Amino acid sequence: MMSLTPLTLHSYPRAILHIDGDAFFASCEQARTPALKGKPVVTGKERGIAASMSYEAKARGVTRGMPLGAIRRVCPEVIILPSDYETYSLLSKRFFAIVRRITPAVEEYSVDECFADLTGLRRPLRMSYEAMCLQIQSDLFRELGVSFSLGLAPSKVLAKVGSKWKKPSGFTAIPGRRAHEYLSALPLEKVWGIGSQTTAYLEKFGLYTALDFARKEEAWVKAHLTKPHYEIWQELRGQSVMPVVIQEKETYQSISKVKTFRPSSSDRAFVFSQLSRNVENACIKARRYNLAAKQISFFLRTHDFRHSGAEIVLSRASAFPNEIVGAISAPFDELYWEGARYRATGVVLSHLEDASIKQHDLFGATLRVEKIARLFESVDVLDKKYGKHTVHLASSAAAEHYRTHLPDQSYREEHFFRGETARRHIAIPLLAGEVR
Amino acid sequence: MTNARDRVVFIYSHAMHMPTNHLAKIQKFYRTRRRMPSYREVAALMGYKSSNAAYKLVGRLAQKGVLARGADGRILPARLFGAVSVLGAVEAGFPSPAEEELQDTMSLDEYLIKNREATFLLKVSGDSMKDAGIMPGDLVVVERGPVPRDGDIVVAEVDHAWTMKRFRKSGKRVWLEAANPKYRSIVPAQELTISAVVRAVVRKYV
Repeated sequence: MMSLTPLTLHSYPRAILHIDGDAFFASCEQARTPALKGKPVVTGKERGIAASMSYEAKARGVTRGMPLGAIRRVCPEVIILPSDYETYSLLSKRFFAIVRRITPAVEEYSVDECFADLTGLRRPLRMSYEAMCLQIQSDLFRELGVSFSLGLAPSKVLAKVGSKWKKPSGFTAIPGRRAHEYLSALPLEKVWGIGSQTTAYLEKFGLYTALDFARKEEAWVKAHLTKPHYEIWQELRGQSVMPVVIQEKETYQSISKVKTFRPSSSDRAFVFSQLSRNVENACIKARRYNLAAKQISFFLRTHDFRHSGAEIVLSRASAFPNEIVGAISAPFDELYWEGARYRATGVVLSHLEDASIKQHDLFGATLRVEKIARLFESVDVLDKKYGKHTVHLASSAAAEHYRTHLPDQSYREEHFFRGETARRHIAIPLLAGEVR
Repeated sequence: MTNARDRVVFIYSHAMHMPTNHLAKIQKFYRTRRRMPSYREVAALMGYKSSNAAYKLVGRLAQKGVLARGADGRILPARLFGAVSVLGAVEAGFPSPAEEELQDTMSLDEYLIKNREATFLLKVSGDSMKDAGIMPGDLVVVERGPVPRDGDIVVAEVDHAWTMKRFRKSGKRVWLEAANPKYRSIVPAQELTISAVVRAVVRKYV
């Protein structure tokens, strides 16, 4: 009897929509190349592992992160493509723009996911919440050629349950008074924000499904769990406590850049140039947001996924790659192990500060820093005009050469129009393949 | 004749672009033809049978101050795009005429693209549309999604590949026509998937 009692009597005190791309990267590829439709498609060739799999590939047992060799074994007819992040990003921006036709309250959660707040729009748009969702879904598919799954509910956590309920091309509306029907069979670890540790903890109290948890008394939840989980408990009960955050990210806690190269390499200079290029990329982003990092960490990953890394605290926050590369070269030499084959390097800038606050020091470094700052102002201007990394450090040269002579080029990288360069393309995605 | 002092500022607002909006249709007409429609053209735009219905609609829009009727009864634009003229900031002296003129210009992007989100590029490889002036190597601007009309050049999906042809429709019959006598028309066996409509062709020489 208890499982029939609703958690709340309201349907949509708030109307939160979650939209999730269906195998987004692989779908982008299928949308622009008709020859790929209905076939098992995997992206991530340049990294040597599956980044995204089409539903046809998933059906044959290909999973995310699977190495290319294993993919070919389970699915010999698979089509493996290099990632084309430029095109995916362009389509991602369009995805958000299409959702904003209905509501300006859109939270860009990730490249292929967003939340939208529809509360209060029924009257001005003269549409039901369900009709708004279906309109967004059909516009997305008609104009982008990519399918999305939608969940409509009174809270973010329930909306997430909805968008996962039926995939691909699904739409699941979970009004508050019917939430219990969806939660009764949902294992706890499938709830957004509940990890394996919390699941194991809650199982000790005999809570196995999302509904078991949602029905627990408030006092118990407050006494046994922390605030984030208390919020999830409220959201599962149809009370919206997590707001849809609409302002764009203006600042970062940390900036990280990781890049895999294929084949893996045991050439010290080449591996260092990869790291150097990551540092340059991270610095470009830091300067764009007017940030400077006080702490740098970097890591090296071998072909058999062993890691080594180091952390460096700078005496003065910096967003200039020449300074940071200089600081990491000694620890790099210590970590680098001759004979190992490396497949990736990565760098994380953290303890970020506002770069406009300058501290004068006793040793006359201020003047030198201002010179470097002026230098990189010019570098940024040149990069903006001619494309990223037009001016780069000599230590990144080998990685730069590798990039432009990459064996796995995406369709976009191989097909230019007159006047386009390898670094700069028209900001409109290209339909691919032969035009008969 | 519209007055040369009438200023039009293109302001993008979704409310004005609702497909059912009468005003949007007139705005679009004005934008593409650079003149106001006649009553008969208004009737055609709205799907009315009589010009009288168009006359009444114009009357309503004129009352709102969006349109005006000239002394000769013709339709004139008033605040068609919901904006008053924007003049250069004047503190002393005259506004710079150059600045004023530039506020009414559009970029080549705006000129070529109507629905930004649905627009894609395509590189032409075949010569099947050469008599329509579309050559191998051309950059074609296409829009995904709209319902094609008879005579539109479209991109369709045929046998798992893109094909660019002229869309023809007569009654219930639908076929794709090449603009090159070397190619025969394609009559779809079952359903035909029209993926996009061609909006512009760009050819760069240097």
